[in-house]
Amino acid sequence: MNKVLSLHDAVERHVPDGVGLLAVGGMHLHNNPMALVREVVRQRRRIRRLLTSPCGAFNADLLIAGGLVEEIATSYVGFEHLGLAPAFRRSVEDGSLRVLECDEAYITHGLNAGAGGLPFAPLPAGLEVSDVWKANPESFRLVEDPFTGAQVLAGAPLRPEVALVHAAEADAAGNAVLAGAHFVDRVMAMAARTVVLQVERVVPTEAISRHPVGTTIPGFLVHAVVEVPGGCHPTASHGHYRVDEDHLRRYMAMAGGAEGPLAYVEQYVRGSSEAGYLEAQRALAAAGALR
Amino acid sequence: MSRAGGRTDGGPSTGPAIGELMAVELARRLRDDDVAVMGTASALPQIACRLAKETHAPDLWFVAGGTCGVNPRLAPAVPSCCDEDLLRADTAVPLSDVVLLEGRGDVFTVFFSGGLQIDAHGNCNLVSVGDRTRPSLRGPGTVGLPFLARVGRVLIYTMAHNPRTFVERVDFLGGPGFLDGPASWAAAGLSGGGPAAVVTPLCTLGFDRETLRMRLETVHPGVTVQQVVEATGFELAVPEVVPETPPPTDDQIAILRSIDSGGLLRGR
Repeated sequence: MNKVLSLHDAVERHVPDGVGLLAVGGMHLHNNPMALVREVVRQRRRIRRLLTSPCGAFNADLLIAGGLVEEIATSYVGFEHLGLAPAFRRSVEDGSLRVLECDEAYITHGLNAGAGGLPFAPLPAGLEVSDVWKANPESFRLVEDPFTGAQVLAGAPLRPEVALVHAAEADAAGNAVLAGAHFVDRVMAMAARTVVLQVERVVPTEAISRHPVGTTIPGFLVHAVVEVPGGCHPTASHGHYRVDEDHLRRYMAMAGGAEGPLAYVEQYVRGSSEAGYLEAQRALAAAGALR
Repeated sequence: MSRAGGRTDGGPSTGPAIGELMAVELARRLRDDDVAVMGTASALPQIACRLAKETHAPDLWFVAGGTCGVNPRLAPAVPSCCDEDLLRADTAVPLSDVVLLEGRGDVFTVFFSGGLQIDAHGNCNLVSVGDRTRPSLRGPGTVGLPFLARVGRVLIYTMAHNPRTFVERVDFLGGPGFLDGPASWAAAGLSGGGPAAVVTPLCTLGFDRETLRMRLETVHPGVTVQQVVEATGFELAVPEVVPETPPPTDDQIAILRSIDSGGLLRGR
């Protein structure tokens, strides 16, 4: 089955306005499916709840900057060594964005629970001394361990309605190869009801089946494949290109200015097609390389 | 959240950069039989682990959480824990497996931590300053810090030694240290050993065995005890004699600079 769609059609068909739980893959400033994220911003799909990997970055901040996110379940949104994520920070501080406080263990095990149909994810002893679960009674409960009688922490299963995930390559059926680190992208894809894959390139099935155990997401979990070479920009795409820190610093500077992050969104995302955006970035990179 | 930069924050103005001295201080606290794990913005502890492996602890294992490269080569070290360069390593483990094993509690013996706030009992906070729902500063989030409760030794590092960071009590407890002190620590019955040391640009701190509060161990060359006391927002235990932190050897500096060939610790 050919699941290859244009960027526009993939988002229009598979990301409904008011999506209940949208998960975005990648971790820190690596393998963020930014072309899909930008298209969600262009099509102004509102998101009731956004879920990140254990470390969200530009993927989450741009959706927040676009004014689309009502609440976010996350254990981290930031730009790591570059600094805080400006839209996330501003929106939480002014009270316009609600955070469902999570930690890495819950996001990972909660997605596993979602993938496996487990009623909840019991969490290791000791995590209950942190304030995380107290701040998020919707996702966490203290329950009795039926075997020992001890009080243990349990997390609700995470079942994204839609997951946007980047992979280096996939065939038209959606069998995907993640080059470099997997982060929790495989688990996210397994837990989601609908998976939209963004890839650097679509390859023939023969190329995938030469190394079947290297396939990290099987096509039967995937609903759409979108080929966007360079589409993780300005984040890195493992095996292909590195983080564009200059661009991210420009975003951070614009977002910190009087007009806030929306100025960036209007100029770079809503004011430009994806092809136009990527072409402009390539031209900038080429000019930089000549300097 | 602290970046392993070369800001001196009152540290020595000549000789090794303060980041290099901090890497050596962390390395000194690693053992040959340790399995260490670290996460976000962890160039400094990665370099410390590699330095320890190439000096006194050749059998140390370390996992650069994010990519989860095991014993990454570095040379050069990179600022992001998710950089694919960290897969130039002995092997790699999927992150979900590392999270699973962090829960097991007897695999990782050292966990590196830091925070927007670090308190007198070594609790860390990366979530928020002020009321969490309407914070005066929203931090990025707690990532894997709740696992500190289950790990053998916690090594805390920060590039910001000031009264805003070093507070009496964290506003949000994300990374458990000795909680509210001896009574609450004993009551919690945690499997982890708690924080072992705190390394800052000014000094190295330990914990008083009785009170489980932070205690000054050594001041870095050129730093006075008074400077440390003034930069700390809680009452710090100060022993009568506070030695100077031993400087790195020429050998350690040479190895450090081959690992950190890009100069992250020298602020490049």
